[in-house]
Amino acid sequence: MAADVHNKKVAWETQNGSLAPVGKLRAERSDSPTPGLVEGTEPGAGQDDAMFVHTRSFEDLTADGEEGEDTDPSGPASGLGTPLGDREQPEAEPVGPEEEQAPEAPAGGRAEEEDVTSEAWRGRRKHVFVLSEAGKPIYSRYGTEEALSSTMGVMMALVSFVEAGKNVIRSIHADGYKVVFLRKSPLVLVGVAHTRQSERELTRELLYIYYQIVSLLTLTQLNHIFQRKQNYDLRRLLAGSEHLTDNLLKLLDRDPGLLLCAVSCLPLPSSTRDVISSSLQAAKSKSLVFSILLAGNQLVTLVRKKDQYLHHMDLHLLFNLVGSSSSFREGEGWTPICLPKFNTAGFFHAHISYLEPASDLCLILVSTDREDFFNLSDCKQRFLERLRRRSAYPALQEATRSPSYPVSQVGIPELRHFVYKSKSSGLYTSPELPAPYQTEEEQERLMGLYQYLHSRVHHTTRPLRSIYHCGERENLLAWVTSGFELYLCFSPLGTKAQAVMAINKLLKWIRKEEDRLFILSPQTY
Amino acid sequence: MICNLKSTARFAYVIRGGRETRHARADYHKEAVQRKITLMLMISPRMATAIQEKQYAPTLLNFFVYNPKFGPREGEEEKKILFYHPNEVEKNEKIRNVGLCEAIVQFTRTFCPTKPAKSLHTQKNRQFFFEPEENFWMVMVVRNPMTEKTNREGKPTVEYHEEEIIDTVYGAVLQQCYNMYKLFNGTFSRAMEAGGVELLKQKLETFFYRYLQTLHLQSCDLLDVFGGISFFPLDKMTYLKIQSFVNQVEENHSLIKYTAFLYNDQLIWSGLEQDDMRILYKYLTTSLFPRHLEPELAGRDSPMRPEMAGNLLHYGRFLTGPPNLKDPEAKFRFPKIFVTAEDGYEELHLIVYKAMSAAVCFMISASVELTREFCEQLDSLVGPQLTLLASDICEQYNVNRRISGPEKEPQFKFIYFNHMNLAEKSTIHMRKTASVSLTSVHPDLMKILGDINCDFSRVDEDEEIIVKAMTDYWVVGKKSDQRELYVILNQKNANLIEVNEEVKRLCATQFNNIFFLD
Repeated sequence: MAADVHNKKVAWETQNGSLAPVGKLRAERSDSPTPGLVEGTEPGAGQDDAMFVHTRSFEDLTADGEEGEDTDPSGPASGLGTPLGDREQPEAEPVGPEEEQAPEAPAGGRAEEEDVTSEAWRGRRKHVFVLSEAGKPIYSRYGTEEALSSTMGVMMALVSFVEAGKNVIRSIHADGYKVVFLRKSPLVLVGVAHTRQSERELTRELLYIYYQIVSLLTLTQLNHIFQRKQNYDLRRLLAGSEHLTDNLLKLLDRDPGLLLCAVSCLPLPSSTRDVISSSLQAAKSKSLVFSILLAGNQLVTLVRKKDQYLHHMDLHLLFNLVGSSSSFREGEGWTPICLPKFNTAGFFHAHISYLEPASDLCLILVSTDREDFFNLSDCKQRFLERLRRRSAYPALQEATRSPSYPVSQVGIPELRHFVYKSKSSGLYTSPELPAPYQTEEEQERLMGLYQYLHSRVHHTTRPLRSIYHCGERENLLAWVTSGFELYLCFSPLGTKAQAVMAINKLLKWIRKEEDRLFILSPQTY
Repeated sequence: MICNLKSTARFAYVIRGGRETRHARADYHKEAVQRKITLMLMISPRMATAIQEKQYAPTLLNFFVYNPKFGPREGEEEKKILFYHPNEVEKNEKIRNVGLCEAIVQFTRTFCPTKPAKSLHTQKNRQFFFEPEENFWMVMVVRNPMTEKTNREGKPTVEYHEEEIIDTVYGAVLQQCYNMYKLFNGTFSRAMEAGGVELLKQKLETFFYRYLQTLHLQSCDLLDVFGGISFFPLDKMTYLKIQSFVNQVEENHSLIKYTAFLYNDQLIWSGLEQDDMRILYKYLTTSLFPRHLEPELAGRDSPMRPEMAGNLLHYGRFLTGPPNLKDPEAKFRFPKIFVTAEDGYEELHLIVYKAMSAAVCFMISASVELTREFCEQLDSLVGPQLTLLASDICEQYNVNRRISGPEKEPQFKFIYFNHMNLAEKSTIHMRKTASVSLTSVHPDLMKILGDINCDFSRVDEDEEIIVKAMTDYWVVGKKSDQRELYVILNQKNANLIEVNEEVKRLCATQFNNIFFLD
């Protein structure tokens, strides 16, 4: 079964390996001026095996190798996939997120309908549209799909017109905004952004949205639907799931993890984390593939089946599923979910529940068996018992009360904020947002600056070792080595000499704190 | 375009380095050449199995001008097209391509009615849109650079390098195309008023047929974005001499409306509006002067300078107008240009007169007929004085060079541009003509300069960006108070602090500390 589930692993490896320009540069990066920090020895690097599929900061958008061949429903994934028919009749006891959430969608989110000819609509920072190849609207972030159906028709016309010339449309650039197209058959995704993000960053965000939709249906089903009926209205199947996409777009604007392809961990004494991990490890079951404990949008621990790796994108989709639905707080949830970077053809079944109704701690147990609900419910009970017996629960609860740390702990006065990613473990750490960046607008502005630095250092043809940007509101520095990526934000009064000193001091501090900030010894069943 | 055999991507990089060294460039390329030689030796035994690769630089695919109002009804689409290059393209394809541009522009108006699309990126090419006059659209389609490989089965595959082209550079090239048209023909609407669509079509055809052949898209870079003017540095005394010369000529010939004075392809004095001078300067330095370079380089007895023999008083000669004053039968005419005037545009004769390295442009209203007598008078007045001035400036220039000490290869190269007076200075470019731009740095570094410039243009704030490239070169960009400075430092082991110090020293010596931002 396990091998079956993981039949796509080979495809990922070649996919990541095909990032040609970066691949060439990797060798060069390893003789960076920090010999002690080669990949795998940087602060935050796991001691054993990593938890995640090894990815670079950018997904390769051009390699489509993983898809296409999955369209045959009797293909390798059939052992684990749930046919679409099952989805349309939600299983008896548990709560499936899409079907039952529609009525309780957050009031502020989708409720008001915008006039798509208004200045306010045009002025939106980032629009996202999803349509079918027949030009039928599937999703729009702002404004109803009905009102936008002609606009989306034009979008599809542009895509097919360029394709008729054996070419592919990528983007349109104008003063102050960009329109980015992503063609992922059978869907077309279009983003319109007034941000400083590069075309590539925006395409990656659209890819996230695409995978979000695939995670609800599987690509196999998606292809099947459109093969059967080209102008099918996919909204019928996705009804009630818009808030998942809305929330994912919000995360993309604010969470550096999605930008860096990394996950942040709840700061926790390593002894406590070890107890939790081993308790979770002990609560195993035959068809269990991943056990994930979250605190808000941070990872507490992750236990996986030997040889099975989770991809960041899939984990972020799980985060998003949990983060955008309040129904899991009411009891144990049982939902089919496709983890598209793992396998676009089949469903996993996730048991999702909070440890306590009022707590931020959420346990996700991912199984291959759709009849496994009671088994997994039992796993959860065993985990909780063990946790109590070894009295780790109070320490864990204590830690969730301070899920972050102020940047002042590092002791560098000019430093306002930073993001540090350990490449080999795929984990990052970042302090809480300080004073000027606490409003939503400023938070997104800071993220925008990090996105800008990220796109420059990871440019496809002209990548950089480092970039220092000195502006009127803040000074920024990004540095990429073979072992880590570091993004720093300084007060505009800080000097370059202070910045250089800050890097050394910060790296020492992270090294000192690494067993609290990172998961150094990931577990397998 | 370069064609070469190679087996790895790494080798491709070396070959690009090698292309520059063919133009004999700076020291640090020697290393690249050596590496290339070693690599050649390493791979040559395996040459038989190597995959064949051909590299193609960006090239001009299409260039067209259309007005959507000229053929609004179905079936009349062809009427919209005012100019299309290449003309051989089949009619329906022309209509389709124009239609796509219209659709793209219209589509983006959904999101911002006042700021429609400026470029369209596709896998194979990039299209640039420019609306210089209401409803008149100019479109330039550039094919992305690409690598053609022949794999082991002998099948050719093409890989497009989609992120090589920088929008701002080619957007500026397209605008330059319009400005150059306007300099010699006036606006599109002027042609429309004078002779309707037919005249406009004819003018576009005549102008762009020749002009497009001089576009060398692979050598466009940051300097095209600035479109600046290089000024000749001069001491006060010599400057006054030049000014009094200009005043004297203008007084003697009251017909002269504007004068411009250049030395060594650099501007010293101009009476024109900045924007007119900028495009005239571009024409002079990239087109007119290079075409007339040969006679001066040729020896005295060379048949290429026949009229020199009879005129021993001075070295002056007309670059536009009469090629030989001694021949009374020879017909001549001066090119006409259009410059800004209080009430729109005025049409002028452009007289360019040169003696040794000094060139002077006189502009006279086009309504005046310029006779042979006038040319002779001008020649006898300007010729001797300009010859004298040219040698004065040359002497002064050499004195200054001696004072500043022997030139050694500096650790840095820079580009400077001032938006207020359009002054530009580059130690990166050896010589920029219409056909070749010889730069002394790797094209990828030039593109990093372009990237930094894009970052600057997004916010109207003082900014500084320091990057370390994968090749360990440091690149510094500074924007302060309408001025931009870009420095490339060849100090691979330096750290951020040392790089900052080095740039500070450069600002202190070259620019009198005009960049204050730390």
